Amino acid sequence: MNKKAIPYLLLLPTFIFYAVFWLTPVAAGMKEVFIDINGNFSLTENFKLMFQSELFGQSVLNTALFVAISVVLQYVLALTLAVLLSRKFKGAKTLMFISMIPMAVTPTAVAILWKTGLISDGWINSTLVTLHLIKEPISFLSADGFSALLLIILIDTWTVTPSVMIILVAGLQGMQKEFKEAAYSFGADKWRIFRDITLPMLKPSIVTSIILRLIAAIQVWAIAVMVLGYSKVPFLVERVAFYVDAVPGLETSRKLAFTLSFTTTVIVLIVSLIYLKVTKKSSAAGGKK
Amino acid sequence: MSYLVLKDLEKRYTKDGNLIVNKMNLSIEKGEFIVFLGPSGCGKTTTIRMISGLEDVSGGEILIEGENILGKKPKDRGVSMIFQSYAVWPHMTVFENIAYPLKLQKLPKAEIKERVHAAAEASDITALLDRYPAQMSGGQRQRVAVARAIVIKPKLFLMDEPLSNLDAKLRVSMRTELKNIHTRENSTSIFVTHDQSEAMSLADRIVVMNKGIIEQIGTPMEVYQDSATKFVASFIGTPPTNFYEVKIEKREDGLYAIATGFEYKVPDRLVPALLPYTNKKVDLGVRPEFVGVSLEKTHSLDHLCESVIQFVEPQGTHAILITDIGGVETKIMTIDHMEIRPNTKVSLFMKNGNVMFFDIETTQRIK
Amino acid sequence: MNRLNLIQKTVMSLILSAMVITVVVPIIFFLSVSFSNDFEMNQFPKNLIPSTSVTVKVAPTEQGLYEIFYNNGEGYRSIITTANPIKLETFFNRQFAVTIPGEQLVEQFSKTKENGPMEFKLKKDMFYNFKQFFTIATKAKSALVNSILVSIYTIIISLTIGSLAGYAMARYNFKFKETINVTLLIVRMFPVVGISIPMAILLINFGLFDTLLGLAILYSIPNIALTAWITSSIFVGINKELEEASFIFGANSFHTFMKITLPLAFPALAASSMYAFLTAWNDTISALILTNQNQTLALVVYKAIGTSSSSIQYAAAGSLILIIPALVFTFIVRKYVNQMWGGVEV
Repeated sequence: MNKKAIPYLLLLPTFIFYAVFWLTPVAAGMKEVFIDINGNFSLTENFKLMFQSELFGQSVLNTALFVAISVVLQYVLALTLAVLLSRKFKGAKTLMFISMIPMAVTPTAVAILWKTGLISDGWINSTLVTLHLIKEPISFLSADGFSALLLIILIDTWTVTPSVMIILVAGLQGMQKEFKEAAYSFGADKWRIFRDITLPMLKPSIVTSIILRLIAAIQVWAIAVMVLGYSKVPFLVERVAFYVDAVPGLETSRKLAFTLSFTTTVIVLIVSLIYLKVTKKSSAAGGKK
Repeated sequence: MSYLVLKDLEKRYTKDGNLIVNKMNLSIEKGEFIVFLGPSGCGKTTTIRMISGLEDVSGGEILIEGENILGKKPKDRGVSMIFQSYAVWPHMTVFENIAYPLKLQKLPKAEIKERVHAAAEASDITALLDRYPAQMSGGQRQRVAVARAIVIKPKLFLMDEPLSNLDAKLRVSMRTELKNIHTRENSTSIFVTHDQSEAMSLADRIVVMNKGIIEQIGTPMEVYQDSATKFVASFIGTPPTNFYEVKIEKREDGLYAIATGFEYKVPDRLVPALLPYTNKKVDLGVRPEFVGVSLEKTHSLDHLCESVIQFVEPQGTHAILITDIGGVETKIMTIDHMEIRPNTKVSLFMKNGNVMFFDIETTQRIK
Repeated sequence: MNRLNLIQKTVMSLILSAMVITVVVPIIFFLSVSFSNDFEMNQFPKNLIPSTSVTVKVAPTEQGLYEIFYNNGEGYRSIITTANPIKLETFFNRQFAVTIPGEQLVEQFSKTKENGPMEFKLKKDMFYNFKQFFTIATKAKSALVNSILVSIYTIIISLTIGSLAGYAMARYNFKFKETINVTLLIVRMFPVVGISIPMAILLINFGLFDTLLGLAILYSIPNIALTAWITSSIFVGINKELEEASFIFGANSFHTFMKITLPLAFPALAASSMYAFLTAWNDTISALILTNQNQTLALVVYKAIGTSSSSIQYAAAGSLILIIPALVFTFIVRKYVNQMWGGVEV
């Protein structure tokens, strides 16, 4: 067997798989986007349709806000927990598993879990009243606008923070302790060690996890729909689901679904590329070890 | 007053755990180059980590210039440490690495620059100041660690096996450089290693450690020629000391050491010390260079036995002959008989009565 | 150096306790909901632990009927008056999750005719919600099987194709390597929702629409790339000499790969399988688009929420069934996931 051919042979299944099952749908999808409802080729017709569609502007705004706020919030939480849980102490492993539980819970189940809590006679209100923190139950589910968005952000944070945390924990635990000890021996206190040594050295893990989070955050939809219902808190992909699931019969539903999917995909790709470029540049200097 | 004093120093990791360091006592004078020598797990690294402040002390005291430094942070102890892995920060340039300790002390920029350059020059890495560690070899990174350690002008230099990760040739050349830097900077240093030839070359005094206790403290010559315990005699010297279990017998003309493979008359000067061991077993140790080889049939006073040489390892300046005496593999170092071939029958004798006896239970040298 | 002073220790304990509470309390309530009957759902404030039995007071009426009183925290209130065993059975079923047959209930209550109003403690069927879920959510049972199968298919496809690709990327240098690397990166980051609809068309053409294999193929798209990425990092870390030793002893490449390399890469495979499993097990929208009859459990539960907010405890029970395998899988594999993230680079 030709030695040179081996890598290509190993990659052949992947290549075939992607050619058939990825390139084709991608091409088909793109084609759909550029052919309007009447069957004529048009670069912009479907996009016009999309821009004018119900709640589109709101969905873009919500998605942007969601991404910005949730990624930052989840970062701070994940980093704090990672720093605390990567130390060696009794029960650290158990606590780590507990913190990972939300990540393993199916999003649908998460939605139900929180929905049962958020309804007027749900357990959140029940606990708050029992603890005498509030007198009257709060009507969470009738939240509107920004507070509704905030609600989704909080639920998402509950679910997602663990998956960011485990990446950071692995990075922290993989760091040789002597790097920190050397700084300590020269007089650095805990904060300086964290700022000057730990954080910069954690950069690869941080970059990896941020980009995974960005990609996922831009595609948020399920929690919003399952807890609050369609159109309450529109997001890009929520709109796609809307046209596919809620109103599939509309004349324009299909086109809108395709165009929205296409747009979301493009946004994800652009954001990822920009992010990677920015981080590659600043890490061009330092290597890993 | 001694510069550094360790008083009954102890370390254990769990409440009823083993003593990793067991009542160590040591005094070091200013300017000395001390080497902690011992096998893995003997406690040498743990001890310098306690001195540096990276490890808590379970018992005892550490005094620097008469002052008890326990509880003080490393920076306040005036110690500087070079780690086995160098711990050179990969995300900072060489300059930033060396400057970091000074930055922590909040020194003015100009002074930092000056001192960094001085340290870089002493460590011969001035050309690398703008590079990142990932772009450098292991040896270069080691020099960065050295420069960083000396830039703060510490009272005490602690080095944890700094040469272990280098290849053999580099190890030997860096050895000399480290000693030079020590002398130039007028520092006091503790160097940790498991390599006995390294220890012998560098130390003013060697602290031989085993399983948390000090076996012997002495100059290289002292630990070599006047080994205090069986461990020291076996650890120091290459090839290592040959050991035989012997029984001391009293005969009309004196004491004899009886082994499975030979009978040896105990030298007069050692008789008083060995008398109490009559009819008891002790360990006899003799270094390879003190076993004499003779091709003649006549036997001298110091005759050991006859033997067939099994292997010969020529070393250029000398040869190592390997043979078997009473079931014990014996290595002999010879200069006069380098041309001997394997399977030659020779006669072996003790040179100059240069033997050491050790108590079997206490492993202490009998003298 | 690693010691914390008292303040730092307290802060750390506070934060960690807060974390545990935030994670555990909702889950406990969720569990409690899935075992609660209708009355408990409507109760306010809620009890943390659902009861295992239902206590009612029964009083005979002049018309020969039974008046049932129930205390939901605010005193006994009359909730129904009847002597019809079918009505009784249905009522106790629906509201109390008590599955005692109607005739038995009438028999028990008849004692009140002699003794006057009495209290009855009736056993609650703790698994009522789960049974209801399987009844109401049509095809729930088969959906469960479907989910398991799809997950297995996804794992098999992703790991097989992905690890071969990962090995190629790790061990060989060849033309287009960088291009392929970037392509895999793009596919990995690709939002699956973008191709769900065109995928539907493609699958129809292949005759794979509404099949488990079709779903598995879609789920495998990002997971093949993910597996390739994860495994290539690990393969790079496996010393080549271990494989070379095997060659010297006469094994061919395939044999070496199967017996030496793959076992050493086990952590990477375990971690990849977890992500592949979770993708397949948890997905809702792709299943929504690509299936009709052969739904996955996640999809069935999703649809169950829509039906009625008033019987949400059935959906809760269903989603409990959904969660448990995922939790178990994650628990088993978590060590490997930690190892993997430690050794993997972007």
